[in-house]
Amino acid sequence: MTSLSNPFTRRRFLTGAAGTAALLALPGCGEQTQTPTGSQGGGGDPWKQFSGTSINMISENTPPTAAIAANPGPFEQLTGIKLNIQQMELDKVVEKVKLDFSSGTAQNHVIYADPYQILAPLADGLADLKPLIENKDYPPVEKGIEDFIPTQMDALGKYLDADKIYALPYDAPTMILHYRKDLFEKYADKMQSDLGFDPMPSEAMTWDQYYSIAEWFNKNAKSDVKYGTGHQAKQHDSLQADFSNVLWAYGGDYFEKGQELGGISSEDPGAVTVGSDPGVQAATFYKKLIKIAHPSSTTWDWTGLADAFLAGQIAMCPNWHEFAAGEEKQFPGKIGYALLPKGPARRAHNFGGTGIGINGNAKDAELGAAWLFVNWATSPETQLMTLGSKVGGGTPTRNSVYELPEVQAEIDKSPSKYPNIRTAPTVLKAWEKENIGLRPKVPQWVQLNTIIFTELSKMLTQDGDPAATMASMQDQMQKAMQ
Amino acid sequence: MSSAVATQETVAPAVEEQDKPPKEPRGFNTFEFALMAPTLALLALLSLVPFFTLIAMSFSDVRTLGRIRLEFTGLENWVDVFTNPAFWASWGRSLIYFTSIIVLEMVLGFAFAVVLNNLIRGRSLLLSVVLLPMFLAPVMVGLLARFLLDSTIGLYAKMLAGVGFDTDVFANPSTAMPAVILIDVWEWTPLVALIMLAGLTSVPPSTLEAAAVDGAGFFRSLFNIVIPQMKAVILVALLVRSMDAIRYFDVITATTNGGPADATKIIPIRLYEMAFRFNNQIGQAAVVGLTMLVFSIALANVFLRFFGDREVARAHVAGGDH
Repeated sequence: MTSLSNPFTRRRFLTGAAGTAALLALPGCGEQTQTPTGSQGGGGDPWKQFSGTSINMISENTPPTAAIAANPGPFEQLTGIKLNIQQMELDKVVEKVKLDFSSGTAQNHVIYADPYQILAPLADGLADLKPLIENKDYPPVEKGIEDFIPTQMDALGKYLDADKIYALPYDAPTMILHYRKDLFEKYADKMQSDLGFDPMPSEAMTWDQYYSIAEWFNKNAKSDVKYGTGHQAKQHDSLQADFSNVLWAYGGDYFEKGQELGGISSEDPGAVTVGSDPGVQAATFYKKLIKIAHPSSTTWDWTGLADAFLAGQIAMCPNWHEFAAGEEKQFPGKIGYALLPKGPARRAHNFGGTGIGINGNAKDAELGAAWLFVNWATSPETQLMTLGSKVGGGTPTRNSVYELPEVQAEIDKSPSKYPNIRTAPTVLKAWEKENIGLRPKVPQWVQLNTIIFTELSKMLTQDGDPAATMASMQDQMQKAMQ
Repeated sequence: MSSAVATQETVAPAVEEQDKPPKEPRGFNTFEFALMAPTLALLALLSLVPFFTLIAMSFSDVRTLGRIRLEFTGLENWVDVFTNPAFWASWGRSLIYFTSIIVLEMVLGFAFAVVLNNLIRGRSLLLSVVLLPMFLAPVMVGLLARFLLDSTIGLYAKMLAGVGFDTDVFANPSTAMPAVILIDVWEWTPLVALIMLAGLTSVPPSTLEAAAVDGAGFFRSLFNIVIPQMKAVILVALLVRSMDAIRYFDVITATTNGGPADATKIIPIRLYEMAFRFNNQIGQAAVVGLTMLVFSIALANVFLRFFGDREVARAHVAGGDH
């Protein structure tokens, strides 16, 4: 064996490795601010000025994105921009967006900006769209920003600063009551005589009546349906979504500033209030309701619940209204949609809409191209296209789309060429300020959400005490906010 | 006389010294190490850099928006993690899960291997069938289990209901953990069986024949001859499966997401939540990651202590010196 004249020593080797580690651990350099760029040519057509650019969009696998991904041709022909769309579960979107923002790059230019998981905690990573909206070099926003449904614009596009717009409303899933109209009509008279009230879902229905109807189906309609109600009560975001409807209806909320935090929000959300008396009453009722619901409710998220409804296992359920498209295929004309029952304080419909925004690291042509896409994807024409898409059908976030004669004509049709529009009369009411249910837009929301659904899951599956559950939830939420 | 003897005595060791081969350079001071150095440097880059970064993060408030920034916070993250009862609850569940799958997979894997080893016909075919589950991606196994056990559409759920077990296994805290354990056992027992089979086939037939001639029965041969000779193979199987089990993630994510009531929230799921879902908890996630690392190293040492053949290892080292 030959020894070297300049050998390695253990000390030198380790020193070198540690030095390299320290060097690489040094914070990287990154830029955050981007300046909107002007036109790049395109023969005067503002839609063509970034022709030849490629942009990437990252989105949850939701109906409007599925519709655009299935038919990107109109955008690519209009602009000459190549559009790449990645669709995945929301958790993965959040993870990838965080990594993208952390790296200081714009791997994804257009971002599906969930208001609670992306907009609130990562607003600084998103570009302010206002300068782009006002820039005369770009095509104007058709019918103006005012055309977006106002509660949605605040909930999805703004955060802390009313003068900044981080995203434009893109989809608007909202929890409403889905029910088997055929079964309700079949049993209406008998239910009415047994229960003493009109069981047909309407604005008069209360949560207590909902419970009675579900219990009645359990006992009297086994030949048609296994259970009266089902819920998305898996230890998942869905459990919080389902419970929140009841919490708000009973007059509870997560923070002192309540629904205000779902709009532009506030840096000081006030004290955590979920453990208050209305919160305990809501938890007590919710536990009672889940006890008579389909026993698999505690394993279902919203998709599992929708599958069970489609399989004819339950007579009614609160679920996101965009599942209507699938339901219309399975039971054409047999499904009814209604506002959720009211509680002692109000009725509330959890709003799960999302906007699309632009990565703050995007620059020059990519920034311009991304804006053209955001503008196009939220335009009335595109929303009409996605509404009628065969791969799911989105939900318009603009008032003008609901007013179109061809849309109005489809509202009562079944089958309809715009199946989701059958829910329009219900969701338009659900989006009114007094009926909408908005979660608090605070940066810690994901952690708070996990605390909420974990504590609720313990209460439901381990026969927990509602008061103790809400007290524990309150305590943990307070700690998370410190 | 005495001087002559003295001269002889001093000359003899000198001759012996001359007969000995020159002392070989060892450690870092060799040509071999120089050849390995580039690869070692790369490995160091890939393992030491993340390791030291992880330690630094565990003592810092880590901000990632725009660029990664570490602000030193002392022991704050460590105190927060170690005083959090949910962290210890997750470790408790991890230990239950870990012990269950290791015991079940080792016992079943060994049993399958013995059966396969004693088959005369159809061994290759049966081996191929037994190995099939481990070729599936764990996330696919999780999704398959979710669908098969779904109370609305699941085939297995219907079969279980048919024999009187109509509880939704993922809905109940007492059945969810056994379910995810059995899913892992289903997928990875074949790997253990394959490793054990390799060990069994390496036991010299002449030894077994001699034992049979001496009147040793099947179980006596198994426990007194076969298993002692397979200690190194058992160690490999244990290390492979235990290192994998500590970071078990995919199946639980696809099936229960840690629920119901946190019943399946083992430590990797909690780590993932803190690092990738929650806001600004990467420092605490680093602490959790380091506890997993310490556990892995401690466990590997325990296994080496019980199953590593130290005498053989020493003999190898001694042989290498000559």
